Amino acid sequence: MTVAILRVSALLYAAAAAAYIFHFVRPRHARAASVGFGLLWAGFVVHVLSIGWGCAEYGGWEFFNLRGGLGMSGWLAAGALLVLLRLYPMPGLAAFLLPLVVISLLPGVFGAIGARTGSLPEEIRRPAVTLHISVAAASVALFAIAFGVALMYLLLEREVKGKRFGALFSRLGSLDALDRLAQRLVRAGLAVWSVALVTGAVVAQHVWGKGWTWDAQVFFALVVWVLYFGLVWMRHRGIHGRRFAVLTVVGFLVILASMIGLKAVPDITQHQGDFTRREAIR
Amino acid sequence: MKRLWLVGLSHKTAPIAVREQVALSAEQLKEALQALRAAAGVEEAMVLSTCNRVEVYVRSETSEPGRRFFLDRASAAEGHLYEKAHEDAARHLFRVASSLDSMVVGEQQILGQVKEAYGLASAAQSAGTFVSRLCNRAFATAKRVRTETDIGRGATSVSQVAVELVEKIFGDLKGRAVALVGAGKMGALSARALASLGADRVLVVNRSPERARQLAEQVGGTARPWEELVPVLVEATVAIVSTGAPAYVVTPELLHPVMKARRHRSMCFIDLAVPRNVDPRCADLPDVFAYDMDDLDRVVQGTKSARAGAALRAEAIVEAEVMAFAAEREARAALPVLVSLRQRAERIARAEAARTLAQVGGRLDEKGRRSVEAMARAIVNKLLHAPTVRLKEAAGSGDAMLPGTVAQLFGLDGEPIPAGREGAPPDASPRRAARAAPPAPSPSPAPEDR
Repeated sequence: MTVAILRVSALLYAAAAAAYIFHFVRPRHARAASVGFGLLWAGFVVHVLSIGWGCAEYGGWEFFNLRGGLGMSGWLAAGALLVLLRLYPMPGLAAFLLPLVVISLLPGVFGAIGARTGSLPEEIRRPAVTLHISVAAASVALFAIAFGVALMYLLLEREVKGKRFGALFSRLGSLDALDRLAQRLVRAGLAVWSVALVTGAVVAQHVWGKGWTWDAQVFFALVVWVLYFGLVWMRHRGIHGRRFAVLTVVGFLVILASMIGLKAVPDITQHQGDFTRREAIR
Repeated sequence: MKRLWLVGLSHKTAPIAVREQVALSAEQLKEALQALRAAAGVEEAMVLSTCNRVEVYVRSETSEPGRRFFLDRASAAEGHLYEKAHEDAARHLFRVASSLDSMVVGEQQILGQVKEAYGLASAAQSAGTFVSRLCNRAFATAKRVRTETDIGRGATSVSQVAVELVEKIFGDLKGRAVALVGAGKMGALSARALASLGADRVLVVNRSPERARQLAEQVGGTARPWEELVPVLVEATVAIVSTGAPAYVVTPELLHPVMKARRHRSMCFIDLAVPRNVDPRCADLPDVFAYDMDDLDRVVQGTKSARAGAALRAEAIVEAEVMAFAAEREARAALPVLVSLRQRAERIARAEAARTLAQVGGRLDEKGRRSVEAMARAIVNKLLHAPTVRLKEAAGSGDAMLPGTVAQLFGLDGEPIPAGREGAPPDASPRRAARAAPPAPSPSPAPEDR
């Protein structure tokens, strides 16, 4: 049932993306953007239902795997996008970002969500775990949006600098606005990622008995934090524009690679709900 | 749509020397409109006077009042005048209002000027119901053209392009500085245009301190000595360069320390000089955007060709609106018969209801009396529904026989028609028409109006 509701939500997001892309191609049709906004809202609400149903069906287990985590990030990104579209009158944002949201739902849509059902073990039923998962998903969502905005910046910059005033020129906001938006998103993402690291350490202390381990996933989480911290620091030192956008894109690609890579290589990490190797880690 | 005439001259037919002889100030226009209205045979009149055209629209049997308007003012106008009649005159007004006949196709001022001309004609009581409907249709056409085509998009002058580019890079220039390097006229124009983006200050750098001071006064900026070029470039966000120097003034070698000192904040150079003053290699530096005259001109040409394409679509809209307007006038021609028929029927219904009520009135309460009146009205409406529809259809298809037959059949010949309505039902926007149009100058019906 959860998967069925999730599919409806993915369809609504895809329809919203189509409406926004249509508006991007034919900007005169302002109604397309309004329709897209309505569909995005509907998708967001249905997604909430699917998350609620999932919790009832799988007892929270679904968030301990890549599919559930990505789905949660997609939901948070859709929510952030709803807020952004209200704050920044740039429907072009949605044309770039909504496809990312749809992609984030694909693993959940085309597969069983929860690997296990039933209640979570007593030892991880803690507020810190809920917080850890939520903030980790939120920061990935923020970095994903920053990635989309940075991509928009790079494409628009290529047109403006290359003196080819084509489609993007008249459809996206100013370079400066995109640059500032990417910067704010990266800062917010870093702050939330920091919370995810701290809560992760608290959880690890309880579950594994150690706040820090040289687990591959934990290590990559730290690498991502260092990378984004470096980005924020460089911004403070004056780096911005094209270089900032390139690094923002690279940062998110590292996140994606680590998420997928860590899943692809068996037994590389004991993170994500695998609590059976507690002794092994000790 | 007979009896509408246009006589005029524009930038396409007359040199400015002739145009300025017939151009009118607002005050003169008012007098001219009253004179036109007073001329024999003129029912309604409107004069459109801009720097590029003077056009007289009159509703009369001939175009003579329009011709006299020009020839009385300047005999030199003879030979430069164009004349259009009926639908062609309406088409011309629609094209003018939609900016299809403008010097720069798609410019936005002309619609305001047509609205102003109509306002003056209304104030002078020379615009009646017909001109009011014609103008409202012209405004609606112009709005359709603007929203359904790209005719108004893009920049059409070099300084507009510069503003558009800077806007695309920086959004606005609030809290930022613009540097004006050199004393070219185009540079000053562009600096002023950029000030519209909210630039905090304009820094003028020129080899001649005196010229720099003069230019700074002109553009409301601050003069800086030539030796301070580098600090000025560090401070400014946009630099407009137009010196008379035969070589590059801004080079990558000069920019390296500048960009470092700016901590690589983006910077835009607009090079308006020929030969160029900004080395094209500067555009390859990160965070530097540089455009020369050729780049800006290419955008202007691109806009012009895009507008030419949009103009084709706009012409189709204009044509459709002219047809619709003509059909509407045709439909109105049949309406005097319809109005007479309805008035006659309603009069009979009222009289019969009153007679019945006089006979049985004492036995009926207020509710009963209202029911009798409503029944009489309902019978009239139901009986006249089909004839109303047929008459409107006949008018739409240009059938002139049916209205005549109906008039004959019901004995409507000589039936009085309310004055000022032209036998027409209220306009789609009665409030606007009432506000805009003074009472129709001629109370006589215009059944031939088509």
